[in-house]
Amino acid sequence: MTGGRVLVVGLGSPDRGDDAVGAAVAERLGALAMDDVDVVTREDPTQLVQLWAGHDAALVIDAVASGNPPGRLHIREVGDAGEPLPTHAFTAAGRGGSHAFGLAGAVELARTLGTLPTHVTVVGVEAKSFDFGPMSPEVEANIDAAVATAAAELIALREEVQSCA
Amino acid sequence: MTHQLKDGGQVMQVGMLARVEGEGGMHIEFKDGHVESVQLNIFEPPRFYEGFLRGRKFTEPPDITARICGICPVAYQSASTEAMETICGVATTPEIQLMRRLLYCGEWIESHALHIFMLHAPDFLGYESVLEMAKDHAEVVQMALRLKKAGNDLMTAVGGRAIHPVNVKVGGFYRMPTVAELQRLRPALEQGRDDALAAVALVATFDFPDMEQDYNYVALRHPDWYPLERGTEVVATSGARFPVTEIADHVKEFHVAHSNALHASFDGKPYFVGPLARYSLNFDQLSPTTQEAALKAGLGETCRNPFKSIIVRTVELAYAFEEALRIVDAWRDGHAPSVPVAPVAGEGIGASEAPRGLIWHRYRIDADGVIEDAQIVPPTSQNQASIEADLRKAAEQWIDLDDHMLTHRCEEAIRNYDPCISCATHFLDLRVKRS
Repeated sequence: MTGGRVLVVGLGSPDRGDDAVGAAVAERLGALAMDDVDVVTREDPTQLVQLWAGHDAALVIDAVASGNPPGRLHIREVGDAGEPLPTHAFTAAGRGGSHAFGLAGAVELARTLGTLPTHVTVVGVEAKSFDFGPMSPEVEANIDAAVATAAAELIALREEVQSCA
Repeated sequence: MTHQLKDGGQVMQVGMLARVEGEGGMHIEFKDGHVESVQLNIFEPPRFYEGFLRGRKFTEPPDITARICGICPVAYQSASTEAMETICGVATTPEIQLMRRLLYCGEWIESHALHIFMLHAPDFLGYESVLEMAKDHAEVVQMALRLKKAGNDLMTAVGGRAIHPVNVKVGGFYRMPTVAELQRLRPALEQGRDDALAAVALVATFDFPDMEQDYNYVALRHPDWYPLERGTEVVATSGARFPVTEIADHVKEFHVAHSNALHASFDGKPYFVGPLARYSLNFDQLSPTTQEAALKAGLGETCRNPFKSIIVRTVELAYAFEEALRIVDAWRDGHAPSVPVAPVAGEGIGASEAPRGLIWHRYRIDADGVIEDAQIVPPTSQNQASIEADLRKAAEQWIDLDDHMLTHRCEEAIRNYDPCISCATHFLDLRVKRS
């Protein structure tokens, strides 16, 4: 049913400054209306564990706090054979907080429960602020680059699952 | 962890508590084999909500205060809408009240499922986190995710969003969900009710540290049902009982140096809000099924062991699913989503039972509906004194455990409260002195 399709998730809260970048990039990707691609946005990372079930490939776009300059792009492959995400950068960010457990926790939980797709690519956008309000100019200015990067990763993921199918 | 003090005492300290919402720590000092002092340190910075509500319109608090917390936004929305409607002398319709209760069920489900299985159960099953627990107990974690999703879907259907609902306003809702939208939730709600009832029996098999406290429980009370979205009275183990509108006469907030969240006293003494308080003061209002599940799980009609809060939370989780089903099944299309509310100068209070306990808001507005004063009293700040009392008792009782085990036991004593530190630090205490 979901074989050969790629699930794109834009993660983060639209109200919390640069945490909105995940959804913003995902919506731009959705507007491209690419074949065999489903695009959703989510605020709660725990939902990914179930959302991923049955998918062979997924792309996640999320804000990152790793101390790099705002707008900097990070690409990580965390699927079946991939490494865990660095916990702090992907957990402390925005909605992650310490109560919910962030994208890094969701990836590892899905890995344990067997719902992690074979191919998962995470495009992280370095955030400046998670305070209430709009995105920072630095992150806003890098959205085009983030969309282009995410689109390239998305095409690669789609080729990957369709060549296996 | 444990440091020797110059005077022969010892300090046990945890800089950053795990599996709680927000940033806090604890500091316990021992001397001559006894606990000398305990502190729950809340160093998450103050967030000034009460300050910036002043000067805003009376219609804004449901949206503004919801942003205090991503786990319990509905608690803030319910308390603030009720306060404003009380001030303006407006009564909403029974259907609006029912829909508020349904939305609140969604929040309880989301929040309780997260705390019971993802944050609290690892303490009892001996894991550092839910990630390790999932390796051996995959089916429990899968159930938890299913339950949480049912809560998220309910919040989305009624509130428009799974987190920080946008459909709530003073006077009711912007739009009522339809019968068809609600009926779509039914299979997940039924499954959730059955899962939660089974989970009551499961968590009852955990080993519970033997500790009881003589708490003064404080909770809302409603003549017709178990308190969620509102109550008519505040009741306490002490025997105190009064209308919700009088709560500010009984509760006093005060500042202590080691916490960025205000402490509070009830009739001059520490008190306890939360699932244990609700349950112990409202057992008779639970449904027959959940009462039976609770008694089978070995709970009495009251419970004074804070570690058993996980059972009580699970009973409440089952109750929230039952209530959601009851409301969904009775729902009919065509009810007005809101009633008009015109501003009236005055002061008023609204209260609800957040997943973590009683929350109340007090506002004063002028004749144009501009907020002149705001006070928000969330559960975790009210519980700080009880948390510290539990820490003191736990540290005394298990003083012979090694450092690692004792620290862990004390952290568990804090997690019993499902503390929400982000909520607790919403306040403003800013003084400017000019000469």
